[in-house]
Amino acid sequence: MAINPASAGMGVRGPNIASADVQLPAVRDYEQVDREIMGTLGFTKKWFMGLLIAVFFMLIGASAWTYQIYWGLGQAGYEPPVMWGVYIITFVFWVGIGHAGTLISAILYLFRAGFRTSIYRAAEAMTVFAVMTAGLFPIIHIGRPWKFFWLIPYPNWRLLWPNFKSPLVWDVFAISTYLTISTTFLFIGLIPDIAVLRDKETNPMRKRLLGVLSLGWRNSDREWRHFAKAYLFLAAFSTPLVLSVHSVVSFDFAMALTPGWHASIFPPYFVAGAIFSGFAMVWTIAIPMRKWFKLEHYITLNHLDATAKVVLFTSMVVGCAYMIEFFVAWYSGVRAEQEFFWNRVFGQWYWAAWIMLLCNMALPMSLWSQKLRRNPTWLFILSIFINIGMWYERFVIVVPSLSHEFEPWQWGSYTPSWIDMSFLVGSFGWFFMWFLLFVKQMPVMAIAELKEIIAPRTKFAHAHGVDTHGTHAEYDPHTPGEHD
Amino acid sequence: MSTKTETGVKRREFLKILGAAGASTAVVGCSSEKVGKLIPYVTSPDNTVPGVSQYYATTCGECATGCGILAETRDGRTIKLEGNPDHPLNRGAICATGLSAVQGLYNPDRFDGPRLKNGAKFDNISWDKAYELLAQKMGEVKSRGQAANVVFINQHETGTLPGFIDGWLSAQGMPAHYSVDSEAPLATIAANQKAYGVEWPKIEFGAAKLVLSFGADFLDGWGSDVPDSMDWADARAKLVGAPTLVYIGGRRSLTGLNADQWIACKPGGEMAICEAITGKQTAAAAAEASGVAVATIEALTAAVKAAGNGVLALCGVSSTDAVECGVMVAEINKANGSVGVTIKPASPQAGFKGIASYADLVAVSERMNAGSVPLAFVRHANPAHTMPKTAGFRDAFAKVPFKVAFSMVPDETASMCDLILPDNHWLESFGDAEISTGVMSLQQPSMDAVFQADAGLKIEGTRATGDVLIEIAKKDTALASKYNVADYRAWYISKYAGGSTAYAVALTKATSAGSPLMTRGSRSSTTMAASAAPALSAQTGDFYVQVFASPTLGHGGGANKPWLQELPDPVTKIAWQSWVEIHPQTAKKMGVMEGDHLKVETAAGSVTAPAYIYMGVRPDTVAISLGQGHTAYGRFAINIGVNAFDLLASGWNSAGGLSLITKGKVSKTADHSQMVTTEGSARQHGRGIGQAMDVAELNGPAVEEHEHDIPGLPSAAFLPGLKSPVAADAQGDFADSESKSLGMYDPKHSSGAEHRRWAMTIDLARCTGCSACVTACYSENNIPTVGAPYQGRALSPGTWDERPGANIIKGREMAWLRIERYYEGNENTENEFSADFDTRFVPMMCQHCGNAPCEPVCPVYATYHSPDGLNVQVYNRCVGTRYCSNNCPYKVRYFNWFGYGEPERKQYAWPSPMHWGLNPDVTVRGKGVMEKCTFCVQRIREGEHRAAAEGRPMKADEFTTACASACPSRAIIFGDAADAEWSVSKMAYDRRAYHVFEELNTFTAVVYLKKVNHPAPAASAKA
Repeated sequence: MAINPASAGMGVRGPNIASADVQLPAVRDYEQVDREIMGTLGFTKKWFMGLLIAVFFMLIGASAWTYQIYWGLGQAGYEPPVMWGVYIITFVFWVGIGHAGTLISAILYLFRAGFRTSIYRAAEAMTVFAVMTAGLFPIIHIGRPWKFFWLIPYPNWRLLWPNFKSPLVWDVFAISTYLTISTTFLFIGLIPDIAVLRDKETNPMRKRLLGVLSLGWRNSDREWRHFAKAYLFLAAFSTPLVLSVHSVVSFDFAMALTPGWHASIFPPYFVAGAIFSGFAMVWTIAIPMRKWFKLEHYITLNHLDATAKVVLFTSMVVGCAYMIEFFVAWYSGVRAEQEFFWNRVFGQWYWAAWIMLLCNMALPMSLWSQKLRRNPTWLFILSIFINIGMWYERFVIVVPSLSHEFEPWQWGSYTPSWIDMSFLVGSFGWFFMWFLLFVKQMPVMAIAELKEIIAPRTKFAHAHGVDTHGTHAEYDPHTPGEHD
Repeated sequence: MSTKTETGVKRREFLKILGAAGASTAVVGCSSEKVGKLIPYVTSPDNTVPGVSQYYATTCGECATGCGILAETRDGRTIKLEGNPDHPLNRGAICATGLSAVQGLYNPDRFDGPRLKNGAKFDNISWDKAYELLAQKMGEVKSRGQAANVVFINQHETGTLPGFIDGWLSAQGMPAHYSVDSEAPLATIAANQKAYGVEWPKIEFGAAKLVLSFGADFLDGWGSDVPDSMDWADARAKLVGAPTLVYIGGRRSLTGLNADQWIACKPGGEMAICEAITGKQTAAAAAEASGVAVATIEALTAAVKAAGNGVLALCGVSSTDAVECGVMVAEINKANGSVGVTIKPASPQAGFKGIASYADLVAVSERMNAGSVPLAFVRHANPAHTMPKTAGFRDAFAKVPFKVAFSMVPDETASMCDLILPDNHWLESFGDAEISTGVMSLQQPSMDAVFQADAGLKIEGTRATGDVLIEIAKKDTALASKYNVADYRAWYISKYAGGSTAYAVALTKATSAGSPLMTRGSRSSTTMAASAAPALSAQTGDFYVQVFASPTLGHGGGANKPWLQELPDPVTKIAWQSWVEIHPQTAKKMGVMEGDHLKVETAAGSVTAPAYIYMGVRPDTVAISLGQGHTAYGRFAINIGVNAFDLLASGWNSAGGLSLITKGKVSKTADHSQMVTTEGSARQHGRGIGQAMDVAELNGPAVEEHEHDIPGLPSAAFLPGLKSPVAADAQGDFADSESKSLGMYDPKHSSGAEHRRWAMTIDLARCTGCSACVTACYSENNIPTVGAPYQGRALSPGTWDERPGANIIKGREMAWLRIERYYEGNENTENEFSADFDTRFVPMMCQHCGNAPCEPVCPVYATYHSPDGLNVQVYNRCVGTRYCSNNCPYKVRYFNWFGYGEPERKQYAWPSPMHWGLNPDVTVRGKGVMEKCTFCVQRIREGEHRAAAEGRPMKADEFTTACASACPSRAIIFGDAADAEWSVSKMAYDRRAYHVFEELNTFTAVVYLKKVNHPAPAASAKA
């Protein structure tokens, strides 16, 4: 039985285990992996409280929606000409969050970035739930949500089709494709792990269900080979989607002629911003998780360090895009554009722009320091700032642009109402409800993949922490990645 | 014959069940909504066709002018008013107030039958009981010998009815009635009588070279503004040799904003300037008295001299010396020899004939207070609202033992009355008006009364006052023989020369030669010394307080019509609110921000209203509009703003007119309100929306035409004047008419539509900003008003935003057509007062772009390009993404935030029976969809269908849009730019033509013609 397909000559699966940031010195054997990862499952009181809170927030959003559908969108804070507000901002925010998962699981997989192993399952689940959250918002946002299916091309007697020229229709395709693929990807990756759960399950009903979900996984060589191929294929398939989804979302803005939106830099700028915010959200989730679930030796400081470098890089890309926008506005010579960008930082909404610049450009620069990159507390704090900053980035794009367009007579303002805020709160409730349900049902780390990077207990193994006789070496507190 | 066993379902049974189930499903499926009557007729009159409008010519009763109206009536309900093109006064135009009469007609707060006061409430009673009660009361009064003390106050009108009322009163032994109109310029009328011998001479702007307006707001409410706007715009449209206008006054009104120069004199200082012009005073002394620079006065004097008999000086001031000032203004005309040229006393207007003065009302009020009036009648007039508190009308009126109102709505005065005998609306009435000596304009009902006796609905119905008076007279045996007619109409026809045949003919023309069929009773007008009002100089206070009639609400009569409440004031752009105008310099000094509440105190009283910072008011003056502050008058009027009459002392000038100028203190309070304004920025920021050119440039040598072709766009040559290629060959120019196999999916498929390009030109040199077009659009297109206090949103679960205009504060007004008012110049006004700034009024509606940014972004094709060049919005298809609005550079798309069109929603805009006035040709939009100007597509289609039905091609200028049809200055021209015969295709070639945001390549169908700026006529060396 090939335990490690990589060593079986497939050459397509498994990270470069020689890399220092991959190694999990405190993880000694397969039993430990099974025990510790599956130990995170099962309901606890604290978890249940968390779920209750999430459901409560979700219900706030749900009741706000009922109210809004009954009365009309007037209950939200829209102030024409600001026709898009918190809903679209939050939509873009969640789509952005939904980027990190597939980036980590697909692109980093193709690039053989070993640090993905410990975090990719959580990130992938986060992606699916974030996209599920994001997908609600365009429907919440439209005036007649009960007609949202008109945006979907379905055959009909009247031969009415959506307008394929509209970026909103592209959105429908982009988001639904992305949701489908990332859900499939998540599921495919889960198959061997579900099989593990099945094997350990004692409840016959659950065992049967898990058996169905694992598609009868038998851990055979052939299954592994197919699995590896499917995984590689999906990784390759998802990779362009990571880039396309947020590019398409950015077209919602870039295709319009509104000053502040009409810019060809938007696609790369949005993708970088999405990865940036997605990694921040990974921190927001993974840092408490590794502590509460006692998984510090799986998500090591090396892992956090590696993700911090991605955040630092994307922060610089985003910052660069901010600066280029100002340059282009000046260089274009278009008066409306120039006035708008002056207004962005010194006008009515100056504070939003400065929050954005502070959180997304200035604070991440702290990550040049290795000390801070390896400080989970700081990373958690920073991740909250980045989440706020990225929400405000979308605010700065949506609201001030619309409130300060070509026609001065129609310049306006915007104040979100309690209904808007209920949806914002509700979206977090909805997201965390799913996530909390997930973490107690499915392993938050890929058990099978973890087993790939720790050396099996054989005498041929050369992995760190195990001696040539297969007995455990004494734990070395100075192993890189653990305590420095 | 069935060989089947008895088990199972037989074929017939199955079919029966299927049928029954299907039918019940269908019935259940279709009956979720109440079935309503679509057509009010059971048996339709011969000349009506359901769905086809009839037009009744009648005469507007909203003000004293008496414009001709065509009331569009569909299936028995009046849905829209248009100006009568054949009427000598308004020649087809109509103002916002006139248009809103439909909302007076269908006002939900109208009395639907007689009422009797019972404590604080009114009880419904029957007409019979009401007649009986009134006859009894009148009998008592007569038997006590007090008939001569009875008072009848009628809202001023001309024509036969006033004479009829007087006849009825005198038959009862009662004195002639008081015909009052608080908005009438009494001082001007008196001065005209003194100077020219007539109440209102004809004003001939066409012959004028220089117009001096001393507070005469002939474009916004003074005199007869619709005919005046028309004449003024026509005169100005000459461009070369057009009259210039100098506005002299403390506040720049709408007329002032249309002036080429504003001479900001102290309120009450006009007299000094007049005297300087006529040489009765030195310029230096006048400068001292008026606060105007000596040089300006000298320049003005010179300009007047130079203009010779082209001078047209008008006086509309209301200060204590208003009559003297008016006479002095007439002196200017006389001295220049312009009487008979620009001012024509020989062909006077008759609208103000027989008007009673404010002083008369005060005298009545004093008699009431003394307890000597046993019985009072009030008809439509509302002195309890339109008189200063200090006049004491309310208290005095309350002392009258029995008060009868013929008013239609529970206004302040009617609410105090004991008996209400609701009159019909003028759109439900027979009558007439005298528009000039010897010319009558006839009034006929355009529909049956909205409220008719209905036993089922327990409605008694309204009755015309003429009919009621006849009924009452019939109850009196002594008078029964004299009033032996069925009703007022029968009486009228019996008096009409030529009888019913001649009358029927005359009705089709709406005007007839002749004079009122009954002359008014005479009444010696109250003589009270003018000194009753303290002269301005004798009053104390740091500020002049100028109170003015609202161009939209008047003195308050318009306040119960949501169209007029929602129509932004043409100057300040404020709706549903009162405000205090204060100069930026003063505001800065006092630390006042816009919206801070200012308390204005005068000797008579005080009001508190939010500040509106306006550079068109003198730094030593604050100005407050009348019209709001109702305590009664229906759901759309009450609890909005303040009544500025409270500031005025009950003084009058020698014409018995109330002075609207006083002095007072202004202080800032801690309160702040958001302004209910539609204005985003008052400056254009160089965006070139409202463009202008100097008249010198226009008259100079022709400049080489700017080449508008845009390289790379072959269709840019589609129409040279319009520069409007229509997107993607929507006109089918490149179509292959032979294509059959693919049908409409052939990219070259011809739509078969007529080759048209509907387009519009808007002449900014004509537009005065009066905003009649805006209301016309509301009326034609079923646009919901959103500012009523009940239409707000929830601020939290359970509390609602009930501020008037709360939705407008949120920018959610729905006006498909708005008038943008931009200022040019005078940027340093905060620090230095200057009267020199230019105003651009830009009507802005959907531009129907040939290359529309809204179209490609709509995901469901709810907005698309029609084959005849229209940018079309399909409400049914709209899902409400609002992307189209985001992408519209003109911001002319409006979203239904609430169910304004859904009767079961709180925010419903047409509470019953207001929905009777909806245009059945236009969909009432539900919540969640986008809407915008359609270029009145229903009128386009109606015109096409009419032409097709008559088997002819459409004629040039055969129809027009609602805005163009209403426009009192004829600034808007609509038509087919693809057909050279239509006026619009000629106008689009004008030298002044431009497109807004042309640089965005939207290829708009609306062509603006630049405003023409004239040099200030009295520009001194140092301005």
